[in-house]
Amino acid sequence: MSENFEQKTVTFKPKEKNILKTDEEASVRESAATLSTTGRLIAYNQELKDSLHNGIRFTQLLEQLVQTKEPQTLFEAALKLVNFQLDNSYLVFPQQYSRADFYLIFLNRLLELHNSEKVILQSSDRNRELYHEFPGINTHGYFAFQLEKGTTDGAYYTEKNSGEILFYLNFHKNIVRFNSRSLVQLLLVDYPDKILPEAIKSFETYLLNIGRFFKEDYGFDVDFNLLDPSNSAVYELSNPQIQHSVIDQLFVMAAEGGRMLKVGAHNEAILNLNEGTVVTLFDKSIQNNTGVPEWAIKVNDAEHQVSWFDILLQYQFVRKWYLDNLSDLEVRSDSLYFN
Amino acid sequence: MANIQDSVIQREHVLATTELTKAVANKARYLQTLAAAIQAQDDRLIYQLIDGERYSKEIQQAKHGSSDERNEQLVIDISDKLSQYLSGNLIAYLHETYPFFYFEQTSLGHFQFYFGNWWDRRLFGTLDVLKVRFNFDQTEYKKLELAFKLEIQKKRLNSDKIAAISQQTDQLQSLIDSQDSRDQEKEKVRLQLKKLAQDKVLPWEASKAKEAKQKLVERLSFLTDQDEKAQQAYKLIRESEEKVLALSKEDTLIGYEKQSIVAKFGGFENFTARNASLYRDYIADLIATKGRVKINE
Repeated sequence: MSENFEQKTVTFKPKEKNILKTDEEASVRESAATLSTTGRLIAYNQELKDSLHNGIRFTQLLEQLVQTKEPQTLFEAALKLVNFQLDNSYLVFPQQYSRADFYLIFLNRLLELHNSEKVILQSSDRNRELYHEFPGINTHGYFAFQLEKGTTDGAYYTEKNSGEILFYLNFHKNIVRFNSRSLVQLLLVDYPDKILPEAIKSFETYLLNIGRFFKEDYGFDVDFNLLDPSNSAVYELSNPQIQHSVIDQLFVMAAEGGRMLKVGAHNEAILNLNEGTVVTLFDKSIQNNTGVPEWAIKVNDAEHQVSWFDILLQYQFVRKWYLDNLSDLEVRSDSLYFN
Repeated sequence: MANIQDSVIQREHVLATTELTKAVANKARYLQTLAAAIQAQDDRLIYQLIDGERYSKEIQQAKHGSSDERNEQLVIDISDKLSQYLSGNLIAYLHETYPFFYFEQTSLGHFQFYFGNWWDRRLFGTLDVLKVRFNFDQTEYKKLELAFKLEIQKKRLNSDKIAAISQQTDQLQSLIDSQDSRDQEKEKVRLQLKKLAQDKVLPWEASKAKEAKQKLVERLSFLTDQDEKAQQAYKLIRESEEKVLALSKEDTLIGYEKQSIVAKFGGFENFTARNASLYRDYIADLIATKGRVKINE
């Protein structure tokens, strides 16, 4: 048996893909079609053996997935498991986890290795699948992966009741992409009425951790979108040519919220918030000299800990402004995976 | 005779020479004094030299100003340069006394200023450096003045306008909201009209029937008019929202201006009083600080 299981196709023809151990076995197979009963039995027996080996190999991978302390080993196990073809026409396992389940188990293990496992892996008897439940969000969130159509390497982390897709993960392209539209809809529109802000914040940290661990442990290219707390993050608007009146609205709403929207040397709008946090709306074209307005948002704080999402969560007037003008202000997500 | 005449001419020429020499010397002395004042960075003396009358009236409280207008005219063509030079200390002084005015140079010796450092702050006027005076933009200034007056009524500048627009918006909204009941009524009226057309009318009731029909037709056309207005209401409401935003924004701007003035001067009266005495205050400050250069502080 080789390490080439991920090469397998999903069609039920393991024998075509299996690499054979000996020439003897090869000759047995070759002749099987033509032959005597004995020949057929030997061939059948070989298929069973291979199938059982395949099953054993599967259990080894599952063991790796569940028990390893090594992030790299964990990743390899997950990568193989989500592509693993366990059943074939000779051997069928009635009790199985789905590929989507392996994505979830993998996430929990990854978080566990970083001592950050807050999310609870639950089992749904009704749907016969695993799902994530988050403390504080509880029954308001049923999180699971949905596989990307046409490939086994990509999956969408989705809240299934609402259908909101929070991020996209692809093991082969080595990418994670967060989706601003769903994050905002779920966490800032749907949840605030029923869930404590601390729980939402804690969930945000959980998502952020996932992105970070993928980046740090596996070198993934992660688009944190509006969750990015770095000061260098530039939040791109879906309509960079926003009208002046959109910023006027923020000016008026800020005043009502007891804050002053200031103007900077390059006509940028500056909002000073608590603990030295500063939100800046600026027109990139002024410094790039391109002439076509291109507004974007930045968030600065001493610790590099505050993201645009945090501002929207913490300051109601900013959130209202953002939601009122969502068609202009929505932070752009990767259009390859979200529309 | 000729000799006498010659000597007269000679005498006059001598006199003329003396007079001219004196006059030129006077001008030279003026310019030398000015040059020395500039050399010594003595802004107070420069102000005295370029407008002696005002200086003696306002600073020395003299009844009759000692004006030196002719000499002062010598520097008219370099007034931009003078203004540029004097602006350094003056704007530094204004930064302290009017911390909410933000100055911006428009050309040599010429400055405009904004009220505040907030979003879309208003351009509030220009600074006359030589006269030490603000030339306020009258439109903007009057709005501010009015806003202070309205304070007694606990109103903001645009409160009434916003209230009027909101009322209009409410009416438009109710026009939109009542669409269903209008549709029902139209249906009812149509049925009545149909019935009227089908009913046999006795000759002596004809005029009454006609009248009833007329009333129904009128009602129907009124309802259809309302429908059309409701159709336009969305657009009008949207326009109203934009108007309200512009008005609220202006109120917010003026609110900040008022806060700034109250924080620094206590009220609008003190602010205008200070504006009126700006020249005196500034010269007094120059005397007190002995023309100490403040620009680089």
